[in-house]
Amino acid sequence: MLLKSFEYVKPNSLAAVLDVLDELKDKKSSVLAGGTDLIPWLRAKAKEAEYLVDLEDAGLNQIAFDKDNARIGAMVTFATLCQHPEVGKKLPSIAEAAGQVGAVQTRTLATIGGNLCAGVPSLDSAPSLLVLDAQFRLQSKGKERMVPAEKFFLGPRRTVLQPGEIMTEIVIPIQAVFRASFQRMGRRRALTLSIVNCAAGVSLGGGSEIAKARIALGAVAPTPIRAYKAEQLLQGSMVTPELLAEAAAMAATETSPIGDLRASADYRRKISAVLVRRALENAIEQTRQAEASTRAAAGGAK
Amino acid sequence: MKKDINLKVNGKIHAIQVDSKDMLVDVIRDKVGLTGTKEGCGTGECGACTVLINGEPVNSCLYLAIRAEGKEILTIEGLGNPASLHPLQQAFVENGAVQCGFCAPGMLLSAHALLMRNPNPNEQEIRKGISGNICRCSGYVKVIKSIQQAAARLQQDAVLQNEGRER
Repeated sequence: MLLKSFEYVKPNSLAAVLDVLDELKDKKSSVLAGGTDLIPWLRAKAKEAEYLVDLEDAGLNQIAFDKDNARIGAMVTFATLCQHPEVGKKLPSIAEAAGQVGAVQTRTLATIGGNLCAGVPSLDSAPSLLVLDAQFRLQSKGKERMVPAEKFFLGPRRTVLQPGEIMTEIVIPIQAVFRASFQRMGRRRALTLSIVNCAAGVSLGGGSEIAKARIALGAVAPTPIRAYKAEQLLQGSMVTPELLAEAAAMAATETSPIGDLRASADYRRKISAVLVRRALENAIEQTRQAEASTRAAAGGAK
Repeated sequence: MKKDINLKVNGKIHAIQVDSKDMLVDVIRDKVGLTGTKEGCGTGECGACTVLINGEPVNSCLYLAIRAEGKEILTIEGLGNPASLHPLQQAFVENGAVQCGFCAPGMLLSAHALLMRNPNPNEQEIRKGISGNICRCSGYVKVIKSIQQAAARLQQDAVLQNEGRER
């Protein structure tokens, strides 16, 4: 049971949520999304709240695809994401990550926006979003801004969110022949934070030359990070097993992990290289398949 | 903050007063009086407190009771009763899948949610379906066997019912 009571409000529109948050700017207030992170924090008295603003009825649980972008409402749950056919087809790395967060019960409640705003270094939704060049829509009363995924995180449990401001939407550009893969390692397969997680994405220029590469890792630095040097190594190079191994090793040198009860720093670095290599192999395979089906579709249209 | 709410548990509406800080597990046990739902870890990691909200499994130790207003809650008491066990419960009994029993209500509700989504799960899908429920005494082998058996029986029943309707 929670020890301290609080005022609970559940506004029935986004505008009403932003109004309430604006009024509570100077008070100890928390925003309730899925609650799978917030409630244990409140119960452990690691956090105090006089007001809890529930986003459940704010209309932020839509998923929409248009020609250029996927738009995922901040209150979309991991259960929804991992079962959504279009997400699975067009954004497989997001669906893969969503299906591995916590366990079934966690995924029923936990939301992608809540996961991101909690800002823990190991959060599983971040690497794919970094790799896919996602942007986050942040809104407060009368204000709105778009922040690129890689600019959002400042440190463990710290983000650029200001008092009175919430994340409302995740916008992901749809790239026809760029596919990403998500990999994670934990002590078990369910109900455990990642020791390391990572995503990698590639597009291929014609044959086996890598036109664009993206690699991101989590739980190995104070925030989710991109592995820029490894990306540069890959861009413009031909795909060979040696190149992928070299890029994976390079990515591991770009991490700055801590050792904790889940794994030592050294182990995290070693696993980083393994997961990056797997993610790259998987992403290349998926990109080739996507290219083949695009070609087949174009051929069929003639 | 106190609020009077109508909580719908196992199809029955309970008019009760809750505090905003009350967790659903505590309200179900202490105010509704249904003690089949157990609290284990209290941090959403063991699954003992699993109930279904609108058909989906959640950890009721992480869920504010005040948030459950207007939703359908299913607890173990609503799945079956001693006079008429649910096929899942029957299979757990027959296979000795219950030892101390503390995890059983949550385990059964997770299994029920799984079978509603996927009436014919393979072993891997069953393992994933109950991955949020931890058992510390009997292990999972008999639980998995029970779920397979119940799934087969439920499908058989469905076939018989359909045949009955066609006649």
